[in-house]
Amino acid sequence: MPYNYLILMSKQGVVRLASYFKTYTDSDKNRITRFIQNDVLCRTPKMCNVIEKNGQKVVYRRYASLYFIAGVQPDQNELAVLEEIHLFVEILDRYFGNVCELDIIFNFHRAYAILYEVFVAGYVCETSKNEAIKRIADMDRLVEEATQHMDDSSNEENGLSYTMQMQLGRRPTRKINKSMSV
Amino acid sequence: MSQARGLQNFISDLRNAKSKEDESKRVSKELANIRSKFTASGSLSSYQKKKYVWKLVYAFMLGYDVDFGHAEVVSLVGSAKYSEKQVGYVAMSLLLKAGDSMMNMIVNSIRNDLVGSYDDAATSLALTSIANVSGIELMQALHVEVQRVLVSPNATPAVRKKAALCLLRLIRQLPDSIASADFAPHISNLLQDRHIGVLTSTMSLLIGLTSKHEQEYETMIPYAIHILSTLVLKKSVSPDYLYYRTPSPWLQIKLLRFLQYYPELMASGQAYVATLKQCLARILNDTDVSDSINKSNADHAVLFEAISTIVVFGDSGDEDLQLAAMRLLGKFISVREPNIRYLGLMTMSRLAVLHNNTNKEQIKTFQSVVVHSLKDADISVRRRALDLLFVMCDQTNAESIVDELITYLVAADAGIREQMVLKIAVLAEKFATSKKWYVDTILKLISISGDQVSDSIWHRVIVIVTNNSDDDLQQYVATTMFDVCSSKNAHVKAVAVGSYVLGEFGFLIAEEAGKSGEVQFQVLHQHWPLIDANTQGIMLTAFAKMYNLYEEIRPIIDPIFAKLKTSVDVELQQRSNEYRILGSLGPEIMEDILREMPAFDTQKVSTLEIALDQEHSDTHDVNVFKKKDPNSPASKRGSKTAQQEPEPEILVQAEPEPEPDLLGGFDDPPPAPIGGFEDPPLSKQAVTVGDPAAVASSFAKLLSTPQGVLFQNEYVQVGVKQEFRGSQGRIQLFAGNMGAESFTNFKLDMPQVPYLRTAVQDEMGATGAGCTLAPKQQARVMIMAEAIAPYCEAPGLTVTFETSTTTHSYPLKLPIVPTSFTEPVTVDKAAFMGRWGQLAAKESQEIITVSRTVDPAMMQQVAALLTGLKYGRCQEVDSPTTCSGCGTMKTGAKDGQGNPISVGCLVRIEANGDKFRVTARTLHPVVSQGVKETFCKVLKAL
Repeated sequence: MPYNYLILMSKQGVVRLASYFKTYTDSDKNRITRFIQNDVLCRTPKMCNVIEKNGQKVVYRRYASLYFIAGVQPDQNELAVLEEIHLFVEILDRYFGNVCELDIIFNFHRAYAILYEVFVAGYVCETSKNEAIKRIADMDRLVEEATQHMDDSSNEENGLSYTMQMQLGRRPTRKINKSMSV
Repeated sequence: MSQARGLQNFISDLRNAKSKEDESKRVSKELANIRSKFTASGSLSSYQKKKYVWKLVYAFMLGYDVDFGHAEVVSLVGSAKYSEKQVGYVAMSLLLKAGDSMMNMIVNSIRNDLVGSYDDAATSLALTSIANVSGIELMQALHVEVQRVLVSPNATPAVRKKAALCLLRLIRQLPDSIASADFAPHISNLLQDRHIGVLTSTMSLLIGLTSKHEQEYETMIPYAIHILSTLVLKKSVSPDYLYYRTPSPWLQIKLLRFLQYYPELMASGQAYVATLKQCLARILNDTDVSDSINKSNADHAVLFEAISTIVVFGDSGDEDLQLAAMRLLGKFISVREPNIRYLGLMTMSRLAVLHNNTNKEQIKTFQSVVVHSLKDADISVRRRALDLLFVMCDQTNAESIVDELITYLVAADAGIREQMVLKIAVLAEKFATSKKWYVDTILKLISISGDQVSDSIWHRVIVIVTNNSDDDLQQYVATTMFDVCSSKNAHVKAVAVGSYVLGEFGFLIAEEAGKSGEVQFQVLHQHWPLIDANTQGIMLTAFAKMYNLYEEIRPIIDPIFAKLKTSVDVELQQRSNEYRILGSLGPEIMEDILREMPAFDTQKVSTLEIALDQEHSDTHDVNVFKKKDPNSPASKRGSKTAQQEPEPEILVQAEPEPEPDLLGGFDDPPPAPIGGFEDPPLSKQAVTVGDPAAVASSFAKLLSTPQGVLFQNEYVQVGVKQEFRGSQGRIQLFAGNMGAESFTNFKLDMPQVPYLRTAVQDEMGATGAGCTLAPKQQARVMIMAEAIAPYCEAPGLTVTFETSTTTHSYPLKLPIVPTSFTEPVTVDKAAFMGRWGQLAAKESQEIITVSRTVDPAMMQQVAALLTGLKYGRCQEVDSPTTCSGCGTMKTGAKDGQGNPISVGCLVRIEANGDKFRVTARTLHPVVSQGVKETFCKVLKAL
């Protein structure tokens, strides 16, 4: 029972991260986005985390201003999906160190890399936080090695390396390396 | 300045945009900038390339159309540097769609990463992207490699778990790409892996495989139960895989889900049954609400899966477990926690559907609790409660449940009303204690929520009333409708029912005081100005019937007919004219025509139930709950619906003229089979394919002609007659035995393809289990096909049969290609050139050599071919050596607005010496390729 899609959307209805695990046309995607904007974002905390409409079913979870929405099959185990979402959030949290929406906005590319480490083809691929973090740290290390040894981009443009550029969007006191050394 | 802006600035800018227009302007500017960078001759640095691709991804994620940069993505994927590769793969997963022409270019890079590389990280990236991108091209090209990675002894757990999921994605798209029998041993190897991550992925794969071929994987049950008992009973698992102190809840859930495919499991008497029982009991008894919501969710997720498993096992399972499960569900549907209540209601409805007897009695005791949930603030819970009430309803409680539902309907919000109305209508009909109660219920529905009462609901009332002429139902309904319509405020739907009923059965009450024909007429006519044209039509017919019955009101009705003669509504105009003239044709004819309606054919499935069924359709795995119980109302209805499906439009035509005898050569004695019968060989010899060139040429011929021979040799002849209209086609196959001995196991195998929706009519069973074909006998098969997606590959057809000496197997292709579903379009030069330019990026081109130099006569043949393939010629753009045309491929798929999707196709054939250059440009790259191939094939056959 794979997800059809996983979308991160802000309370204001802006897509922050989206991955579709099924082939959708653009109009399908718009329909899904509208459905989430109209029927999911308005739900109160006391309501359950599942909603169905016109053959679509989503399981969602809200973290502060950010909604994590998984489009699922009708016979999917909903509570398991809820915890899969939470697992993903915990991994993001561990990686970014107390993750907030801004982290995901400015590091959407990293968030994607993590997303694809945790979910493959709409299935949870890694259910261990430690294991996932380790894999992501390995990936980061590879990127950095490549940047240092072969790909000297530090002199280009405004004088910042690719990784440094990424860090600009972060709040100044935090360093990515801190959270990576788990 | 703009050049120096990094990704972060771009994101900041978009965040700070004051309006949507602002944002869109900023994005357009950036996209234009990137486009110019990409097209500029100088090569980009690695840093720039990555940065621009990320910007594209970001813009794409926000919903902007990004239709360039694919080449850069491809080059990043092919890069030797990991940092570039990573960007490339993520961008590819997001930007590239199935059917993208770039897919073919990228395949080799991916293959290298998959098998050529010793680098785990690259292999992982490749696997993830194949799994996420879903291109059928990728799947076809790489599934062998993916399988190899999965079963390779050297693969690390990280690679293996991804490979399993990647393969799963693959078998969802190409279900037959894995031979189950060969693959099962690999799965059992994987199930002995100790890595929980690998096990979890393997279980996902196994569930996918099992949903298609459960028998082949039955041997995995002991492994699954063993792992389950380790997790549940021993609670032994690496600490990494404890989730809030629960040993990998996800793996537990998958194991249980897998076992649900074997509902007879508990009755099998195997040793592992006891272990499984112990596991289930432990899960049921030990799960408790925890202070951590996450722990509680995880545990309950397992618990609900266990309950579902028990539900599936049903009476063949353990009675104590069943009771315990029921007790828990009873508790859950009254708890405060909304998720638990929601799931409790849902699971209970499954239970009610599956086992109709004891469980249902128990479920019925919860009626008041469920009714309470019907008033919940949360629409999800309300829907579930409605569903459960619907399935727990039977003769004994129908009246009370329907009453409850109607009471609640008054207060229900729009989101759920339509559903409720439909369900009430179905229940009222199905479990009616009396027909009068049924009619009253529907009338209540109309008065409370008339707008949601679909036409099919009140049509049903008419059918039932018309078909029950024995008791006093018709009179009762006539009286009721008279009363309802007497009120000025009657709902338009009530007026429609009233018009029909009074027109048909009004005479039954016309003798009663105050209900004479004239009064009945007045009662209806007062609504005239307020009702829609449809209802006016129905009322007009009622007037005609009254006109026939009551002479005294003819003078009143005549002017109405006369006035409507000039109505703007064509239907009303026609009806009034016809009815007016009817009066002048003499009493017998009028009486004959306006006689009471005969009883309706009740064989048909109620359209209401069909409507209900349409709610659930979008599921990948075959749903265990529907599949396992052939008696469940859902599956019964499903199968009936399939039979009753309206036939495609083209079948409405009169019977086709007798088929031209494709097997005309029957009078000649067939050639004697080679070998002779005296000494039959020990084993049957296998023959496949005749002459490939001949096969290709017959196929090509059939692409532009409606009928002909698809294949023939001394044994068998396969003829085709085809007819297409829009997105639909009817293809008749005639397969005849040309030999002197009977064929056994004669089969026409047509593998299902995702892009065609097909229905097959086959009296002899040649497409199913196979049949016997005597000499000179012909098997006929009719295929109704509808294109539902763009495609290029013609679907396959394999003809297999056995004679006493030989097994024959001929893989052929059916001539159902994209051009089959094409309709010609005529455009002028400007429009053609305009479209031609726009579609430049999606072209498909090939140069072919023909046997002789192209001369004007041959160009004429080409032009004829173009028309034969249903393309409209666009002569204005042609020189003597070119030929261009335009068509539109119709598909039955619907876009967001419900309009059928068509693909515009342009094609241009240029001659040069003994060569043709064929160029097809369509909206869809796959179709371009298909169109090009079709044209190449027919040109080669010229």
